[in-house]
Amino acid sequence: MRAVDDVSWKLEKGESLGLAGESGCGKTTTALSIIRLLPKNGRIIDGHIRYSGKDLATIKESELRRIRWKHIAIVFQGAMNALNPVKRISWQIAEAIALHDNMSFDEAQGRVVELLELVGINPSRKDEYPHEFSGGMRQRVMIAMALACRPKIIIADEPVTALDVMIQAQILELLTKLQKELDLSMILISHDLSVIAQTCNNVAIMYGGKIAEYGPAEEVFLDPQHPYTQGLLRSFPDIYGPRDLPPWIPGQPPNLLAPPDGCRFHERCPLAFAECLVREPPLYETRPGHLASCHLRAPST
Amino acid sequence: MTEIQRMVLRRLRNALITIFGIIVLNFFLINVMGDPLTLIGHSPRTSPDVTDNTCLRLGLCARDINGKVYELDLFQRFLAYMKDFFTGNMGTSFHWQNTAVLDVIGPALSWTFLLIGTSTVITILIGMVLGALSAQHRGKPLDLATTGFSLFFYGMPFFWLALMMQLSFTKPEFNLHWWPVFPSSQEYDFSIAIFDWTNPSNIASALYHLILPAATLALGTVAGVSLVMRNSLIDVMTEDYVVTARAKGLAERIILRRHVLPNGLPPMVTLIALDMAFIFGGAYQVEYVFSYRGIGWVTIEAINNYDFPVLQFVVVIGGIAVVIANFLADLILIKIDPRIKVA
Amino acid sequence: MAFPSGSVSYWLRRRFGISEVRREKFVLTMNRLKEITNSVVHHRMGGIGFAILGFFVTMAFIAPFLPIPPPEHSFLDSQGNQLQYLQPSWEHPFGTDQMGRDILSRVIWGSRVSLLVGFLASVIAGVLGTAVGLVSGFSGGWHDEVLMRINDILLSLPWLALLIVLAQILGGHLSLDVIILTIGLTSWNFTARVVRAQVLTVKERVFVERAKASGASNATILRKHIFPNVFPLVFANTILTVAVAILSEATLAFLGKVDVGTLSWGVVLHEAEASGAALNGWWAWIVMPGLSLVIVILGFSLLGYALDEILNPKLRER
Repeated sequence: MRAVDDVSWKLEKGESLGLAGESGCGKTTTALSIIRLLPKNGRIIDGHIRYSGKDLATIKESELRRIRWKHIAIVFQGAMNALNPVKRISWQIAEAIALHDNMSFDEAQGRVVELLELVGINPSRKDEYPHEFSGGMRQRVMIAMALACRPKIIIADEPVTALDVMIQAQILELLTKLQKELDLSMILISHDLSVIAQTCNNVAIMYGGKIAEYGPAEEVFLDPQHPYTQGLLRSFPDIYGPRDLPPWIPGQPPNLLAPPDGCRFHERCPLAFAECLVREPPLYETRPGHLASCHLRAPST
Repeated sequence: MTEIQRMVLRRLRNALITIFGIIVLNFFLINVMGDPLTLIGHSPRTSPDVTDNTCLRLGLCARDINGKVYELDLFQRFLAYMKDFFTGNMGTSFHWQNTAVLDVIGPALSWTFLLIGTSTVITILIGMVLGALSAQHRGKPLDLATTGFSLFFYGMPFFWLALMMQLSFTKPEFNLHWWPVFPSSQEYDFSIAIFDWTNPSNIASALYHLILPAATLALGTVAGVSLVMRNSLIDVMTEDYVVTARAKGLAERIILRRHVLPNGLPPMVTLIALDMAFIFGGAYQVEYVFSYRGIGWVTIEAINNYDFPVLQFVVVIGGIAVVIANFLADLILIKIDPRIKVA
Repeated sequence: MAFPSGSVSYWLRRRFGISEVRREKFVLTMNRLKEITNSVVHHRMGGIGFAILGFFVTMAFIAPFLPIPPPEHSFLDSQGNQLQYLQPSWEHPFGTDQMGRDILSRVIWGSRVSLLVGFLASVIAGVLGTAVGLVSGFSGGWHDEVLMRINDILLSLPWLALLIVLAQILGGHLSLDVIILTIGLTSWNFTARVVRAQVLTVKERVFVERAKASGASNATILRKHIFPNVFPLVFANTILTVAVAILSEATLAFLGKVDVGTLSWGVVLHEAEASGAALNGWWAWIVMPGLSLVIVILGFSLLGYALDEILNPKLRER
């Protein structure tokens, strides 16, 4: 099956891009394929991933290994299992440094302390195990680990999911602060639009393995062009509005083993018309830099 | 008291409760099998003199103040059993006349330990290596071959494997004449003392007779351990931290050594401890087929001859050994797996 | 084979797209079972296991209609002596035994008892194990403590000795029903452990909390919410228990602990051993019943393995 199809964007230095959408729509798959981390039965059939003159989709595995973490690091979803439970956190951070910067684990300890201070963890805790930290603290460890080799790009995959709201805010603040200070590029994946709205310059809304809408975050959120984005934004409770259930989008995301003909969203789209059932809409540019994959946005209409 | 100490104490308490339960259950199980005197061929009603003596000797009767013999009821026998058990008096065997239970069990145990010791230590290691290779090459021919081999031997009853070994590898006047090297069950003579270092030919003979039973037991062990190891490692390989390790740019070989094995091995300790019960069960059957005079052979003889004192003791020490093995595995696990400390 | 807790609900969600809300109302029906069966058949290992079992079950059913001599019939020579210990020939493909009976016929008929004992004993073990696991996991507290200690004790006792002693108690002589009961009563502990672990995780789920809050009785929660989530696990486990039960029966029979006149693969092997078949080179007498046993057990293992891979998302290739 094609979990992700026809997805493309550009990420400039120092910029942050948000990938949003319901669960199972291909956000994580897209992110993992950037450094070819798809599980054994997944592969990139076609396409390019260009990074400073190289195509990451085709270079040799050994060459790719040197780029991983050194240039592109990942902050994984729910740091519980992303950290090895039987190794001390200092060891895990030092492992990356030792590998890419040709140091011994002992020599890397100085940098480990530096990193922990950077993310706001008391370095005296460096020899503890992951389970001894709270969820938010583990996420901080994960961020410290991602920064270990001074990467150019950080991919944050649901970095605040499963954390409580106060901690979420702290972690997001930390991420944005570090991104600005270290001039990092960041790809932030989240199903939570408010998270992306707080942190990203650009946003790509994904649906059924495709990009539904892409554009500057402000524009997309204030003036959504795709009915799916509109639905998503409407389903956010308005804290100042009346106290009832917000409207939701009825139905379920499409089964990617047998994607529907035509537009992938037509089964749930309130505005669907005849053409949506037969022809897949391309990405139409509605405004410079703002794209939407919807027949309603075709230039003729 | 720290968390760990509390946990060790709780495990210790559970182990002690289990051992006590085994001791009690054991008595009742064996005593409700039927009236021991009838079962061993005495009829209490027909010849009072003979049976009085037997009854007294077997600890089923006692004399009252007037010297009159009376039968003890179940509860009295239970009290006597508990008292004897905790004072180390295990009684005498019914079947091996006039031999103390400990003298029946002692040599048998040493033969069994020789058998299990030679066949399992190395094979557990081999099984783990095979399982690791299989997991690493998952889905490739090596994995399919290993898993196929393991599934085949894992499901094989030990007694049949023993028969097949006997059919294939014993002396030429009996068998298929393939490889006329090893002694058949009819030639097993265990009247010799084990580890008689003064007599080298005895040791050589003991080892010679050990080869087939040990090989049989080994095949079963390798299969079981490698299957479990494979599954355990595959479980770990799909964990998020392995993806993290890959994202860090580590080579697969290093990921296996630094991230997969340290997480996959601790559960193996428990599984191997549990497996020991399975291996003992296998040893019973192998010993029976080869007439190898270990604890399994003794047990089956005791069952066939309603030898209650021996049977009671065998069941109890078997059970206690398993409980202790599991308790030790727990201790090792607490020592080597940092996760447990909070769980 | 161990199932990580929670795997089943994960699998249900992935497989049937059951959302948190719909999962609450989810009740396992025969349809779901059929879906599991379908996935098993299409699984490579599961398909082989299914074929093997299909073959043996069919053989057991049609044994009376096959062109083979009755299993108890002794062949005689012209002098009226039993044709003992014949080597394999066209007439007797697996040879004859100590009473001149056709071993092929005995192996085919033997499959009936072996399979019957396997199925019935594992049903007993499955029901018992599920009940103990549900009570233990759901009510917790001292019920749980007591049941788990009993479980520990049964797991620790030397299995074979326990089996033989228990069989002796239950019947004095070891008829088929006593054997089935004995094996059933000694094989439930693994199922109980697995079910208990699963109940413990299901119990914490939102929908159970909500049902409790809305005043549902314990019985209702067990029946409507917990049991459906535990059932697939019990099903997979019972398949594995069948293999264990067949092995147990074969072992008991091989040690001569089964009534004379019963006919199972274990009994055939017992007679072979007692006649010294291994030492006399009467290979077919040992190889054939044993191989049947091994292949049937392999069939159940493959099926269990396939179910494990299907029910356990971690083992599936991700």
